[in-house]
Amino acid sequence: MASTGSSSSIAVADADSARPCDAVVGIQSYNDADTIAGVVASAREGMRRHAATGCVILADGASTDRTVAVAREIAGDECPVVAVDYRRPEVDPLKLPYHGRPGRAAAMRAVLQAARDRRAKTCVMLDARLPNLRPESVVSLIEPVLRGEMDYVSAHYVRHPYEGAITKSIIYPVFRALYGARLRQPAALEFACSTSLLDHFLEQRFWDAEGAPTGIDMWLAATAVTGRYRMGEALLGVRSVAMRPVAPDLSTALGQIVGALLVDLKSRAQLWHRVRGSVPVPVVGNVDETAVPPAPDIDPEKLRESFRLGYGALRDVWASILPPRTIIELKKVADAPPERFRIHDDLWARIIYDFALGHHLKAMPHEHLLGALVPLYLGWLASFMLEPGTDDPDAAEQRIDRLGMAFETQKPYLISRWRWPERFRS
Amino acid sequence: MWQQVERILTEAAQRSVESVAAFMPGVLALMMILLFALILGALVRVVVFRALRGLEFDRHASRWGMGAFGDWSQSHSLSAAVARLAQWMILVLGLLTGLTALDAAVPSEFALSMFRYVPHMLAALLVLVVGAILAQFLSRAVLIGAVNMQLQSARLMSVFVRWVLLIITASMALEQLGIGRQILVLAFGILFGGIILAAALAVGLGSQDAVRRALERKARQPSEPPGTPIDHV
Repeated sequence: MASTGSSSSIAVADADSARPCDAVVGIQSYNDADTIAGVVASAREGMRRHAATGCVILADGASTDRTVAVAREIAGDECPVVAVDYRRPEVDPLKLPYHGRPGRAAAMRAVLQAARDRRAKTCVMLDARLPNLRPESVVSLIEPVLRGEMDYVSAHYVRHPYEGAITKSIIYPVFRALYGARLRQPAALEFACSTSLLDHFLEQRFWDAEGAPTGIDMWLAATAVTGRYRMGEALLGVRSVAMRPVAPDLSTALGQIVGALLVDLKSRAQLWHRVRGSVPVPVVGNVDETAVPPAPDIDPEKLRESFRLGYGALRDVWASILPPRTIIELKKVADAPPERFRIHDDLWARIIYDFALGHHLKAMPHEHLLGALVPLYLGWLASFMLEPGTDDPDAAEQRIDRLGMAFETQKPYLISRWRWPERFRS
Repeated sequence: MWQQVERILTEAAQRSVESVAAFMPGVLALMMILLFALILGALVRVVVFRALRGLEFDRHASRWGMGAFGDWSQSHSLSAAVARLAQWMILVLGLLTGLTALDAAVPSEFALSMFRYVPHMLAALLVLVVGAILAQFLSRAVLIGAVNMQLQSARLMSVFVRWVLLIITASMALEQLGIGRQILVLAFGILFGGIILAAALAVGLGSQDAVRRALERKARQPSEPPGTPIDHV
């Protein structure tokens, strides 16, 4: 790692910090003094192992603790830490982003612009709350891009089969069926991109769009896929994130992430209408096979009751979005005993597609539509958990793969109703 | 004497004929205006109905919670009901205009007072429409929010919100029409205040044990589930 020769490792847009480098590691932080040390240390070590000249760009939202000072101490002279400004918005307790990073789009944009100014060959985005981030993880993200093999490398964490159910049941299958790439975690907060893709990102117009703070990661992944850039996934092991003091509830989180997905669908309708099938995304890196993510504490019976409560109270609301045939099938599911409580893949795919149509046609205010999806999602999760064998990671992986295939099979259902909605109106 | 009687009778008959002759043009004008209003009303009904059907007014109205108003029409279509309402408004306006054509003080004053009442009617109609839309929006928001909070009484809460808003809206519309203002304000105040007082007494006195047990149960529950909390995203 080339030394900057500067007595201070923190620079704000000065000549030293504008020196070209191979790799830039971008970190968005705010009062993360407890965890930033590990992240910066891993970033520094990861770049050193790859013999890459690099620097850390810290998009710090005016932390009131020693986040920036700690980052400087850990980085030392090997890896300059450059602070960039971005406008961190006032935090509304009722509208916390699901990832806990207000102003993420603005911070990410500032990092990418700084990376472009330094003519970096690759830019890696990391979360400042990863206390157990390993240097190998940084290498896994950087290496494929620096070798010229990939343009976009997304993080792929080992998760418990019941974790990340929104991603597994909605984000991944829709992404796969509509955009044609089997990217397991499209909304991952960590990724690496090449110079050409970085320029393409900065040309997009969604940075200031409504929903950008929560959907920007997914929108960038969609931009990479639809722009036909070379995609990859890096295995980074089990993701351990420092707990946030306040986390949004399920309804808010689902509304944000699924809402961002549906907004993206609408903007790229001309593209995904022409996509047929899907291709697997290459996976790189190694993980510790013995590492097992902790099992979440969740009762499928409570989820089933939540679905039944939703059916009883929201049936009329669902009838504004879903066709009568789907309502009848949901009634059968609601009346089924636990051992036969199943929401089949085709039914689930049609439900999600109908909600996408409802969002597109403004069947009702978007907040109401996405709120009405929550009991259905809990029903799917209960169905998934009650299915024998889904607690096994390999079996769950295959199960989700079949779900993705069902979404691909049902895609003509969505396309026909998207193009000619009046034909299918009851 | 008989000559005087004959003269008086002749003068009376002449005055009657003159009165009728003076009145007839106004009657003819009234009949012509009514005929024109009939034709125009029928035409407006057809045009409005077709225009609303083309705009899918029924679908949009049921989305905004006004589909029930269509049941007032025989065809259960809100578009037909609005078209018929437009026709009747033309007829009523035609009648009022015709009355002003009569050279009669009382009918003319009546017609003018009705014309002055039309803005209040339109304002009341606007209040009803906005109130219905707001009631639908807020009741649905309460329903979805309560379901997602796992509240078993979600539907009851939603119905309560809807009816409170509809009662407020109806009261405002009636006040705009000037119908029973004093009584309306009193009745609404008594009703609403009574509901709130009854609810407060029920919770404060009648349900104190149940509330205490529920609060103790809530306090004993951990704020987060034991073990690892689930990350849904």
